[in-house]
Amino acid sequence: MTVAVRIIPCLDIREGRVVKGINFENIIDAGDPVETSKRYNTEGADELCFLDIDASYENRSTTLSTVEAVASQVFIPLTVGGGVSKLQDIERLLERGADKVSINTSAILDPSLVGSAARKFGSQCIVVAVDSKREGDKSYVYTHGGKNKTAFETSAWIKIVEGEGAGEILLTSMDRDGTKIGFDNELTSSIANDLSIPLITSGGAGSIDHMIEGISDGKADAVLAASIFHQKEITIAEVKEGLASKGIEVRL
Amino acid sequence: MKVGIVDYGASNLYSIERSLRYLGANTLIIDEPSKLKEADKLIFPGQGSLGSAMSHLKQIELFEDLRRQLTEKPFLGICLGLQALFSKSEEENAEGYGFYKNEISMFPSDLPIKVPHMGWNKVFFKQDHDLFENIETDTRFYFVHSYLLKDFDEEKSFSTTHHGIEFISSIGDENIFATQFHPEKSGEAGLRFFDNFLKWKP
Repeated sequence: MTVAVRIIPCLDIREGRVVKGINFENIIDAGDPVETSKRYNTEGADELCFLDIDASYENRSTTLSTVEAVASQVFIPLTVGGGVSKLQDIERLLERGADKVSINTSAILDPSLVGSAARKFGSQCIVVAVDSKREGDKSYVYTHGGKNKTAFETSAWIKIVEGEGAGEILLTSMDRDGTKIGFDNELTSSIANDLSIPLITSGGAGSIDHMIEGISDGKADAVLAASIFHQKEITIAEVKEGLASKGIEVRL
Repeated sequence: MKVGIVDYGASNLYSIERSLRYLGANTLIIDEPSKLKEADKLIFPGQGSLGSAMSHLKQIELFEDLRRQLTEKPFLGICLGLQALFSKSEEENAEGYGFYKNEISMFPSDLPIKVPHMGWNKVFFKQDHDLFENIETDTRFYFVHSYLLKDFDEEKSFSTTHHGIEFISSIGDENIFATQFHPEKSGEAGLRFFDNFLKWKP
């Protein structure tokens, strides 16, 4: 009897459309954000995640009107990220209906942003998104939508932002993203075991079994996926039934 | 009928406003004392820290007027809005309104749980209440919090929830109801709860 594992469909947004790429490249159109959000809500999504994938790279601010349109029709938690670089960006997103904001590139450029944001808005609404890529037996953090490598090892970086006051970590394996071969459970479990805040695993989900493994082997508190839900290969309800059949608590 | 939502600077009041409007309600953001009297019902939303919420209310001179209205109008406190009714919180030793003497405490650090308690958890109804109409006991609602109410009067405790330990997830006392969970983020169940609040005649 405890809090349910969360299933979070992610909407990568570019120019007001839902899009999806493989390994952060080859971007294709995957639908209208409002319609897609409503469908996921009906299917039983526990939260929605909304990433403006170009915002950071092209220095654009997130499409606030799209956020507002979704938030006016869907009443489950909404995390919004992309181009969040200052407290004012966070304030604006919260005003338009976001419940949490995810910070990625800007946290690397200025780790104190995480701390000041957590103090002003509360840890619960500050998610730090970490794009991680393997190199030999190490993993490194990437920024700007996976374009720039940093000197930070993934596990060390996550401990830093946890200390700064992040409320949650969204960990994406760039090696697995869009591949549908399963989450990088070795990476997530090594981090989750040493983390006191919730961890969302992302990148690589291709089947219900992958979702189960993400929780049981990856030790994640939530699973995030995009392509399998967008392409209607699996419904959220099916994922939840699968998890429940293994004794994992879900909201049915 | 107008539902006033108290604005103390750092809350997610817009989510609440959107949910209520979706249900067809008239809403009013209360950011100064003169607006209080226009509201027929009041919602104290939840997010941020208790200390800064209380000092913001004092700054805009809403603190005392709100205290008076709290006992008169149908009132719904959400998350921080529940904690604000109590005398004290372990969170930076902040002081609330002090209608109830119990203390808001932190989740014990020796439990194998993640804090903040974030996500959908079961709300076990200890008693019937108008606001629970058409909602089943053990329905999952959305929670986000690091502080909790551990003990309270039996007759004023309306539900409990379990995350590492059992805590009081909603309280009720005549015209006052308050939840630790967030109805505005709890999908269908949350909308039903709000609809009950709109109809509520305590």
